[in-house]
Amino acid sequence: MRVSRPKSVFSLAAILAAVMIVTSAPAQQPQRLPVLVPVTGFLALEGTSQRNGAVLALKTAPSLATAEVQDTAAAPETAVNAFEKALSSGPVPAVIAPMLGTQMLALLPLAAERKLPLVTISGTAQITEMGNPYVFRFFPGDEIVKTAHARYVVEELKAKRPAVIYQTTAYGQSGQKVLGEAFKKLGATVVFEEGMAVTVKDYRPVLTKALEAKPDAIVLHLHAGPTALLIRQAAAMPGMPRIVAGSAMHQPATAALLEPAELKNVCAETGASPISGGSPAIEAWTKEYRKEFNAEPDAYALAQYDGAMMLLSALRAGARTGDAVAGYLAQQTHRGLAMTYRSDGKGNMAHDALIVCYDGKDRTPRIVKRYALGTS
Amino acid sequence: MLAEGAYGLRLLTAAGIYALLAIGYQAVFGAAGALSLAQGAFFGFGAYVTGILGARHGVDGAITLVLSALGPMALAAIVAAPVLRLESHYFALATLGIAQLALLAGVNAESLTGGANGLSGVPGLTLFGVDVSRGWPLLAAVWGFAAVAGFLSWSWSKGARGRALALLREDPLAASALGIDTGALRLAAFLFAAGAGGLAGALHAHLLGVVSPEVLEFPVMIACLSMVVIGGRGNPIGAVLGALLLVQLPEFLRGIGPWYMVAYGAALLGVILFAPDGIAGAIARRLPKPMPVLPKPASPPAPRRAGASLSLRGVTKRFGGVIALNDLSLEIAPGALVGVIGPNGSGKTTLINAICGLYRPETGDVHLDGKSTQTRMPHDIALLGVARCFQAPRLLDQATALDNVALAARGSGRAEGLALHVLDRMGASEFALRPCAGLPGGVRRRVEIARALAMSPSLLLLDEPAAGLAPEEQADLAARLGALNAEGLTIVVVEHSVPFLKSLARRLVCLVEGRAVADGPPDEVTRNPLVVDAYLGRNWKRT
Amino acid sequence: MNTFQLAVDGLALGAAYALVAAGFVLALNASRAVNFAHGDTVMAGGFLAVALAGLMPVPGLVLLPIMLALMALFGVALAAVAYFPLRGKPPVAVFVSTIAVGIILQNAATAWFGAAPRAGPALIGGGVVDLGFAVTGRQALSVIAVAALVYLGLHLLLSRTQLGKRLRAAAQDPGMAEALGIPVAAMTALAFALAAGLAGAAGLLLSNSFFVTPGEGGNFMLKAYIAAAIGGWGRLNGAALGALLIGLFETAVATVTSQVMAEALLYAVLLTILFLRPSGLFGEAAGERA
Repeated sequence: MRVSRPKSVFSLAAILAAVMIVTSAPAQQPQRLPVLVPVTGFLALEGTSQRNGAVLALKTAPSLATAEVQDTAAAPETAVNAFEKALSSGPVPAVIAPMLGTQMLALLPLAAERKLPLVTISGTAQITEMGNPYVFRFFPGDEIVKTAHARYVVEELKAKRPAVIYQTTAYGQSGQKVLGEAFKKLGATVVFEEGMAVTVKDYRPVLTKALEAKPDAIVLHLHAGPTALLIRQAAAMPGMPRIVAGSAMHQPATAALLEPAELKNVCAETGASPISGGSPAIEAWTKEYRKEFNAEPDAYALAQYDGAMMLLSALRAGARTGDAVAGYLAQQTHRGLAMTYRSDGKGNMAHDALIVCYDGKDRTPRIVKRYALGTS
Repeated sequence: MLAEGAYGLRLLTAAGIYALLAIGYQAVFGAAGALSLAQGAFFGFGAYVTGILGARHGVDGAITLVLSALGPMALAAIVAAPVLRLESHYFALATLGIAQLALLAGVNAESLTGGANGLSGVPGLTLFGVDVSRGWPLLAAVWGFAAVAGFLSWSWSKGARGRALALLREDPLAASALGIDTGALRLAAFLFAAGAGGLAGALHAHLLGVVSPEVLEFPVMIACLSMVVIGGRGNPIGAVLGALLLVQLPEFLRGIGPWYMVAYGAALLGVILFAPDGIAGAIARRLPKPMPVLPKPASPPAPRRAGASLSLRGVTKRFGGVIALNDLSLEIAPGALVGVIGPNGSGKTTLINAICGLYRPETGDVHLDGKSTQTRMPHDIALLGVARCFQAPRLLDQATALDNVALAARGSGRAEGLALHVLDRMGASEFALRPCAGLPGGVRRRVEIARALAMSPSLLLLDEPAAGLAPEEQADLAARLGALNAEGLTIVVVEHSVPFLKSLARRLVCLVEGRAVADGPPDEVTRNPLVVDAYLGRNWKRT
Repeated sequence: MNTFQLAVDGLALGAAYALVAAGFVLALNASRAVNFAHGDTVMAGGFLAVALAGLMPVPGLVLLPIMLALMALFGVALAAVAYFPLRGKPPVAVFVSTIAVGIILQNAATAWFGAAPRAGPALIGGGVVDLGFAVTGRQALSVIAVAALVYLGLHLLLSRTQLGKRLRAAAQDPGMAEALGIPVAAMTALAFALAAGLAGAAGLLLSNSFFVTPGEGGNFMLKAYIAAAIGGWGRLNGAALGALLIGLFETAVATVTSQVMAEALLYAVLLTILFLRPSGLFGEAAGERA
């Protein structure tokens, strides 16, 4: 089997490394690990979660690696600048790469050229479809979450006539395509579909039109602010069917904008929901996160934490070059907090998706369904 | 501040691309003074042309480069007709509208543009078989394009055209009155800006390897505008300095942590407060200026143009409900000197504007030397020999009197010599090297008349030239105008001051509510009861 | 949801935009330069409302006077930093100084408050009001009422008081105003104070129903610029009316077609208007003619 050989190579390397640490007294210098994330611009909310997750993970092993955060803002160009800047002060074993799809598309060829793995949580379907062996995605991609999204709507809610409202951004358009195909496969008819710009404040026109199409579920694929705006405005409209939102809904920052009562009819897909608990390990992690950042963690933070932890395992196992780290990530299995990660051969590491729902009494969602959609 | 290695090379290359974008923008915004907000859209358009043809259809880099420049130029040419005639803010708004539509198309025409995800896999640039896709070769190619564009822009906007552009920027109306084809200058600048912008966009697509709607978004436009203003408006060097600073500065500040973009804003503010005319302007101010020298006066080219005949036939011009000119007919013989009087709002200035083509009469026709000027543009009429002055002199304040006058003497090889000659004729040659801003009102008026004379006109239209002049200045002006008239120049003087006109004109026309109520020798007209009623009865004492 | 409710919601958004546009024009007339920080000032007002509501749990209406005062101070500071040092310099320098202030505001808000959208206080309270013939949101109605009152106050200040007349005179012809003994600099500072006050009021009005995020200033700026231009560059009432029209147009067209189409049509209509009426829908305040 192919898997076993690298494993033995890595354990050999680990032993060697251990021997070296013992023999050469001063501990090895921690590796620099660039954390390239959008902390300004329109994806700053999610980007900050991503940064926090990575930083929290690297704190667990200060002797192994130190985080070097660079802002990628909103344009591909800034991401490339951040990448080159990070690499300009010496070699690094891997890069934590932005969750913005257009930025990933610009970074992929550079990563291949430098043989540097990109550890990301970008959901954009395309990035793992380009045959690039250096991309590793620790958040379930659109193929996973949007399929789970559609399956929950059709199989659990028994909805056959969903209305889809999505965002005209890279995130929105990418997910909308997968959603459309998934509904088709499941035999449901999308009775209404419209894309919205992120700048829209008034969602009543689109909701009015959606209702006129007599849908049995409203399916959202919007960013955080727009999701909250739409749900608030929908709550004031009579005759609204169940709303199943995209992963932006599960973010505590989104729920914080809404009254619990407004969330009564609402579910959402996500990769994880750390504030919903689920295991003592996740609860401990959530506590730690709150203490460290004075903020509520979301799935992006947890996924990036898991991704960074697997990266640390690679370093711990002795991987020092980009190729070695990529080899480890491509072959090994990582039991993370949110789920177990393993590459499908294309760099998709996460294969589980959750559906969470709100009960209208508080802002903490309950996990109602777990989909394991790995391509085993 | 410049970074090293691949990172430094990339930033310098990016700066070169933005310099090319900003050099294009200098032409339309810096030189022609039009606040275009479509420069970002031209950039994005060029990027998408390269993205779609290069990444999707494998078209060669040299071809996509050319098409990326031509595409935006074609768009600019199509929108130019309705858009370029708009005045400043409305031009800005129209170009903003075009840019927003381009962005909407980029995001929503998914099958063509790849939607918000954009297009990836744009190949590196290869020119005629030479791989210039990265590193130093790409840097050299990018800056090569910027240098060529900068040179074209510089050679286009120096000398006489430079002076014409300066007037176009500050006062398009005065520029067209001097025979400057403002429309053609703006069009040329707009097309150049579009081409340079599109080329920059294409290079940007090659550099990044992806094209996404961010290239069409407003921040690109804002950055381009800031580069031009911070670098120094009006010359290509300013564009280069601005691009270098704005690309390097945020990268330089990255290290300081989460507040780095706040620091970037503060630095930007600091630079503009320190150098409001831009960095190039601040440097120029510190350089020693060459002492200006007077040119040798040159006589106007012989043969002089003969005085023109002017004829208005049934001209009517309305503004909303107000009739400014009401079925007005007027015949003026070659070499005549006619005074036009009338109470405020009687249509005197409208008459001048109608003759020089600024206003189009609803009915009637204006003939110059027997030929209709109805379909001609103001600058075209000016080139036929119609020169005018404005009620308040419209001069370029920061330029010298000599430069102001030389501006109108385009075409003749000795513009400055001729300018000095006409300044002398108007008794203003001692002010030739002084900036107009500081000149007294009477001198400004004489400089403006000299500027009109520098066009070697056959018809001179003056709008209240004696207003605000002391009696001895009025007499001096009357004598000089009389001498010009004696040489055959046809002159029409709109005036309030009847004594001034009486000393000058042998024929007066009195306008009341857009009609000529009296026309004849001054003494006759001033005694006409209609005139006394409508005008002199109220205003005689005042003047 | 009936047409009346849609109209009320569209009107509430449009009314807040009208205040934004009016503030934009006030500063424009006083400084003869575009204030590119105006949109970010609205955003800053929204975050100020969030911060104040965190300190004092009172309805937004009670916070309004405090907001106006604080934002007026901000307006004076903005003028002192980004306008007065550049007086007599090319107006484009003010473009860049205000662009810089906008960058500072946007990124300071991200760094200070975080990137998450935040909800400001409701003016009076949430819930719905039964008008007999229709049911509509309390917040939407109070936004319309407060915006109308603020605008009426501005109108009275400018047209009925000595101060307002001086302010307009200083904006119209600074040279003449100076000669008449009007303190032009103080009047300009006042115009910036009023402009920021209006932006802040709009920020407060929008912050509850529509939340506030650090990056949204650009969109307000765009709307204000378009409103000012279609209303006739420099005309206060024209700009306010233009903003209302944009709000209603977007809601109405988005209801019958789609949001993307509404936006595209807005620009297409804009270009058509400019093609047919080259100086705006209502003509320019000061015609530039020989």
